[in-house]
Amino acid sequence: MRAIVWLLFGALLSALLYPPQWYPQRLRFELAQWLGTPSYNVSSNQIEQDADMSDLERVCPDDLLGWRNAQIIEGVSIAATPSCVADNPYAIAAFVQGTNNVSMDTLMRAGLTPDALEKGADLDGDGDPDEIHIRLEIAELNGGSPDVLEPTAQYAIAPGITPGLWVFAPKTFGMATENFESNIAQAMLRSPSPSIRIEQGDRVFITLENTHYMPHTIHFHGVDHSYLRADGAGNDGVPMTSELPVQPGQSRTYELSPRTAGTAFYHCHVQPQAHILMGLQGMFIVEENRPNNTLQSMNIGAGQVRVRSVASREAYDQEYDLQYTDIDSKLNNIIQETNDPERIESWLHGGYNLTSARSNLFTVNGRAFPYTFRESLIVPKPDQHIRLRVLNAGTEGLALHTHGHKATATHLDGVAQNANVQVTRDVFWLASAQRVDLDLNTSNDGTHSYGSGVWMLHDHTGKGTTNDGIAPGGNMTAIVYDEFMDENGWPITQGENMAMFFSESFYRRDEFAAEQSYTLFSYLRIVAFGLALGLMLAGLTQLMLQILRGRNV
Amino acid sequence: MSKSVLWGLSVMGALACVPVGAQVDHSAHMHPEAEHAGHEMLFDKSGMVMNANSTVLPRGCEEISANITYTVRAGTDYAIEEAGRIFGYDQYDFQVPPCSKINVTFINEDQVRHQWMLHGLPRYLYPQGMFHLEASGGETVQGSFIVPEDDATYLVHCDVTQHMEKGMKAQFVVGKGSGTLWSIPGLSADFKFDSVSNRIASWLLFCSTISAFILLIFFAKKGFPTR
Repeated sequence: MRAIVWLLFGALLSALLYPPQWYPQRLRFELAQWLGTPSYNVSSNQIEQDADMSDLERVCPDDLLGWRNAQIIEGVSIAATPSCVADNPYAIAAFVQGTNNVSMDTLMRAGLTPDALEKGADLDGDGDPDEIHIRLEIAELNGGSPDVLEPTAQYAIAPGITPGLWVFAPKTFGMATENFESNIAQAMLRSPSPSIRIEQGDRVFITLENTHYMPHTIHFHGVDHSYLRADGAGNDGVPMTSELPVQPGQSRTYELSPRTAGTAFYHCHVQPQAHILMGLQGMFIVEENRPNNTLQSMNIGAGQVRVRSVASREAYDQEYDLQYTDIDSKLNNIIQETNDPERIESWLHGGYNLTSARSNLFTVNGRAFPYTFRESLIVPKPDQHIRLRVLNAGTEGLALHTHGHKATATHLDGVAQNANVQVTRDVFWLASAQRVDLDLNTSNDGTHSYGSGVWMLHDHTGKGTTNDGIAPGGNMTAIVYDEFMDENGWPITQGENMAMFFSESFYRRDEFAAEQSYTLFSYLRIVAFGLALGLMLAGLTQLMLQILRGRNV
Repeated sequence: MSKSVLWGLSVMGALACVPVGAQVDHSAHMHPEAEHAGHEMLFDKSGMVMNANSTVLPRGCEEISANITYTVRAGTDYAIEEAGRIFGYDQYDFQVPPCSKINVTFINEDQVRHQWMLHGLPRYLYPQGMFHLEASGGETVQGSFIVPEDDATYLVHCDVTQHMEKGMKAQFVVGKGSGTLWSIPGLSADFKFDSVSNRIASWLLFCSTISAFILLIFFAKKGFPTR
């Protein structure tokens, strides 16, 4: 008898406590007819806006060392950087003159070793060095550690977003972080791998000093190179066909002397389904041979070329390297989960399946919006020609859209297109590894440009403009006309205040807006309902047991 | 002093993320004593020596108590047989008396850069609190420094990314020291466990153990069902 009382009491309580948000619409409507509508609730948007915004970062950090200014170092005239964050000009000077030809003071300020990028003899006697020896190391950013819980040598692609990365890096000395108290990687260690610039016909030696704990190679995609080195060793960087990979602590020198100019690509070819996407990818540019053409042989973090080639100065007013890629954090973050390279290796080989993977982060020059606005803005004046060298190094296609402009593709995969058939359009599709050289013409003629302004420049695939699905993010940057830039290097815009995007919490996935329509009371109501239901079930079980045992109810 | 050194070398504290702007002025603020130390500086293709000091005594030291010489070899060949170790030194535990002069010859047997970098020294004498040896592939560099009078354990590592994490971490104990550091190869355990271990399985195991225990108590009280 008691069981029946419990059962009925439980059922009644359950019915009363049934959460209103689960009522059928019809029932809610009928109830409102009888009882009136429920009382007013504070809008969840209001709650969201009241949330703590104390994690907002500086939109545009101060240029304390004057790196943005136009300056002459070691006799090298370095152009000003219009954007708010600039490359180290001492490193630029060393990359132009060669680290073997500059003062110790310049090297110390650059953070480079004396053999990082050596320049030798002028072989063709035209006033510029043609023997180039580049040494590349491999740095791990946002890697794991047996000591600290957060990633080490941190490099944020956007506020609070630190995917594990492997990058080719110039040969630096000293600490990998800004200082001993900091866990942030020093400025030379960053994504993407540096753009490399050499001249057609140069004798180039590229030594991979494998500082990483995994084997690696370099493959020169689209750069004229022989399959074998002069000494008969492999030179193609492909472990299956040309040579064994460079083991940790070992080094290997590749030799090339490209006969043709063009925009190309270099990447590691060990387990390419994983290593390229881990970040071992960069732009490789062969410039046309000209007299007195001393090049800036490395461009840290790609982007604006502050010391341009003779050919670029002949035909263009500015030049930018734009390297697009995408990241799947499920792949990249494995290095933060374990400190054991054997487990990382087994994950890369058999644990991670690229065929069922989806990229969730999209970058241009190693950053995602809003950080792209700090360092990857294209800043023209009217009536200029801007050269954009674009590489899509990711797995996904790139639909690069220039707001307010129709650019012209002068070169595809480094090959010049006949002037009569060059394509002018406002969306360029780049499949994986494809390159396009664009002539961005800022003449206000209604086709090439619609005039001055702040014009977005982004991937139009949709997800490309998000950080793990949260917009705005991804590889969005902008073409900002000179007159729309303030003196600190930030665009003068008329829309939303962009400061709110410089916040880790903005890009945190778990603060899910839709969840916030459930107040604390809604959750308590569900708990109470659950308890009542439990009571009813307990009564029911008791009743069943009594029946089974054949007792009188 | 020893407290602050302890903090300096407690790796958790030392490597804790401190937000820093995009540009940091690395130029050291020279202290007069540091200037007088006339740090023997080397910087060329073979590598670098920073803040070497074989003459100026740290405060509180009356004289050089001992002259100790170490030859340290580094490279992948010295990585110990332990998960997560790829690079290594041939010794990980240095023990010296206070106020002793240390002469280190650092031999790099790999073809890539390695470092023997010691942190936490007094900044009035060693800019950035650091004594630093760096050798390019196949090179040898050497330098000397004088340790302070306090008992302290200093961190020695290679700060090329991931080299410390993958085995190039040692401790330098002056006097009685101030504790042992985490994750020194062959000496101390890792602080952080791999989070790759099957998380879901562990939680399931944990929950089912608890449930089994509760059921056991329940039945022990009520008597086990007979049919």
